[in-house]
Amino acid sequence: MNPRHDVDPHEGQGTSHEPTPTIWPVGFAVGIACIFVGLIISKVVLVVGAVLTAIFGFLWIRDATRPFRGEEAPAEAEPPPARPRPPGTRATGPDPGEGEVVRFPRSKFLEATTLGLGGLIGVIVTAPVLGFTILPPFIKQGHPKVDVGAIEDFPENKYVIATFMLKPADGEVSRRTAYIRNNGFLDQSPSFTILSNRCVHLGCPVQVNGLPLAEETKTEKTATNTVTRIPTAAAAGFGCPCHGGQYDTEGNRTAGPPVRALDRYKFEIVDGRLLLGNTFSVSEVDGTGADAKIHTYPLAGPGQHVDGPEAWLYPVQPPR
Amino acid sequence: MAKQKPSRLDQLVYLLMYPLNWLEERSSIPGRSGLVGGVKYFLFRKVPSDISWGHTLGSAALTAFIVQAVTGVILAMYYKPDPNSAYESIRNITDNLWAGWLVRGMHKWGASVFIILLFLHMGRVFLYGAYKYPRELNWIVGVLILVLGMLEGFFGYLLPWDQTAYWATVVGVNLQATGPFVGPFLGDVLRGGAEIGPDTLARFYSLHMLVLPGALIALILLHLWLVVRIGVSSPPWSPDEFGRPQPGPPPAPRKGLVEPAPRNGRLVAPVGRGARRR
Amino acid sequence: MNRRLEERRAYYARYKRDVKSRGKSFFPVAMFHDTVMSLLVVCLIVALAVIWKYTASEGTTDADSGWLGKLYDEKSDPGTTNFVPRPDWYFYFLFYLLRIFKWPDSVILGTVGIPTIAVLLLIALPFIDVSPERRPLRRPVAMTAAILTIITMGVLTYKGATAKEPLAAENLVLVPKWAAKQGFADNQTAVDGAKIFAQVGCMNCHTYEGAGSSNLGAPDLTTIGKTSNRGVAGFVDYVSDPSKFGNNVMPQFRDLGADNLRKLGTFLQSSGTCSPKTDTCPAAGGQ
Repeated sequence: MNPRHDVDPHEGQGTSHEPTPTIWPVGFAVGIACIFVGLIISKVVLVVGAVLTAIFGFLWIRDATRPFRGEEAPAEAEPPPARPRPPGTRATGPDPGEGEVVRFPRSKFLEATTLGLGGLIGVIVTAPVLGFTILPPFIKQGHPKVDVGAIEDFPENKYVIATFMLKPADGEVSRRTAYIRNNGFLDQSPSFTILSNRCVHLGCPVQVNGLPLAEETKTEKTATNTVTRIPTAAAAGFGCPCHGGQYDTEGNRTAGPPVRALDRYKFEIVDGRLLLGNTFSVSEVDGTGADAKIHTYPLAGPGQHVDGPEAWLYPVQPPR
Repeated sequence: MAKQKPSRLDQLVYLLMYPLNWLEERSSIPGRSGLVGGVKYFLFRKVPSDISWGHTLGSAALTAFIVQAVTGVILAMYYKPDPNSAYESIRNITDNLWAGWLVRGMHKWGASVFIILLFLHMGRVFLYGAYKYPRELNWIVGVLILVLGMLEGFFGYLLPWDQTAYWATVVGVNLQATGPFVGPFLGDVLRGGAEIGPDTLARFYSLHMLVLPGALIALILLHLWLVVRIGVSSPPWSPDEFGRPQPGPPPAPRKGLVEPAPRNGRLVAPVGRGARRR
Repeated sequence: MNRRLEERRAYYARYKRDVKSRGKSFFPVAMFHDTVMSLLVVCLIVALAVIWKYTASEGTTDADSGWLGKLYDEKSDPGTTNFVPRPDWYFYFLFYLLRIFKWPDSVILGTVGIPTIAVLLLIALPFIDVSPERRPLRRPVAMTAAILTIITMGVLTYKGATAKEPLAAENLVLVPKWAAKQGFADNQTAVDGAKIFAQVGCMNCHTYEGAGSSNLGAPDLTTIGKTSNRGVAGFVDYVSDPSKFGNNVMPQFRDLGADNLRKLGTFLQSSGTCSPKTDTCPAAGGQ
């Protein structure tokens, strides 16, 4: 059902006339282009274009109408004769493995360089991208110190639920809650117990087993931060709603799956105000209040033991 | 033989088939199928005549996946993956956009339907013993699809940025971080920091929208290709199970699309000698 | 090994031959079934979306839930102290697994140990079960394992779905129900005590009228007034310092203050003694 019955698709164009190669159309095209450009830019170019078009158009038409006017086409230049080859050599290079042993044949060189360059491209593209994905979580961690209130805002031996932004530059996503208890003085300096409210089993928000006095909530807006403080009437410990973890008033685990005591914040007193620093992990706390002995460790993620045999599962912690 | 003028019907068929033939010739080499040939092979390949409704669970799961992909693409045009505007953009989609509530609802419930169908399909394949030779590779690919599908649900869960989303993600990533040695590092990479921070949402969005769908699509295509190549298995309790040795010479090939399966004079499946080992 | 491989290849060769000789074309018959099922799936998804939208209210509290839950939750608050996190329903079985492994040394089993082993078993299934037998009734081990797995995952999912952790806001709502059922609705002191009981964390360890948590071995307190018969003052003493009575697990609640403790004691004494009224039911109007 092929409509082009006369054309054999595998044999080429058939017997139609082939025009001889000439360059007159090129000049003609340049002339036309100059006409259009000249229309926009300047009349001189326009005139030059018209002249070129006329000259080359005339030459082209003269060439194309030669067969109709019965003149001979000019003989095409013959391709230069091939240089005679010295006897005994081949048309192409030697095949690898033939004749004498070839130490580094060309095909092997090409294979090696292709793979090598491909690998290099892969590295150039992947390394920055992977670095961009993997490195940022490990650099520039930590946060500036957070001002959560004056010492007087924290009544002695009562837990206060304090909410603040850990990194105001990051916005609300950095809001955290800490349970802060003023322990009075220890050797002339104020002592505070500041517990993080993230359960050390899997990070759920731990709740106070006590009576938050919501009517005494105080909200303080500093230059960069918004701090909320809610005092509690009695806190007999803390409990986690996810999987049933329970902690006592020092943050020690009393029941459930938490693997250590609640994490704590370092703190400083500057001009009578309480500043929260970095967080650290605690395996357990002996005693209560200002005299308590706290067994501290670098901050570990929830669910990760810091002491005991299972601590060797987490020998290195990422920078926090 | 004298060449007859082609009939009107033949000419019409030629005209209609012209684009398909054009495609086929330009996508094939002599002796191999092109694009159109591939589709024809997929559509008109032979499958056992005793396959059941249970065999539809796989394509049902694929349909659910396509629903998720399409609704996901539309949602992505209005969702804003920034912690300060993600929640509001979901509210906007549900409240203000025409049929936005429908697209969001389909995406949310489509996820559950997709996972249910994955489990049902896996159960059907297990029941039929269709993970055995030569389909072991296909089973492994299927398990990977299941795991990645559930992971996709986990990453998508954070995107509404509400309380449920945030805290489920806190626990989920911490769970992964309890893995020995590299757990904490992988957890930090997932979160973009030691805790969920301003970068976490964008990371999860990229994983949920680009990485995991890409992996899932690749695995699903491999899974389908294996099914088409190896063939669909008969139910093993079928009396005419394809592949079971029958006594006597093999039946003659039959013409026609749907024929009653030959019973070779038996009404029940063979038991005893020759039945255990096939 | 060689014989097994030969048998497998012979089976596959027979299968291919059978399909070629008496198989039917995928389109239209099998594809018809697939299309019907796919239509069902799409209709199901749309139906769920429609039901969700039209049965739920626009707010974010539990009262706004419809048949399929609320449309919205509250915006994320990383500093919250009163939210109970839960994963999506298809992870409930993993969630409940975490609640089962509540000894700190076993935590890693529940988080990564068991799920990893489960996935590895799934992947290795074709290499564990190498017999060519496919009929279910002749694969007792496989069928038993499958049924056990399905039942286990079903039970774990259900328990995960119904696991409740007492949250103060949710418990407070129950106080009027308790007051009506226990018969102390006319005793304001007892009602106040019930509210304190609901908030202070008692229900993290104790159950009461079906609510609360009992996974730490503490007794149910629904009828504690009747069963322990301490009287209001006796309960005040106990709750202030349980260690004086030999209980070293329960924390000491003396910091609640005398007033709150009295209310709590009244409530506890009213539990089980006021409906029907007995002699030990505390009188209304300030005992």
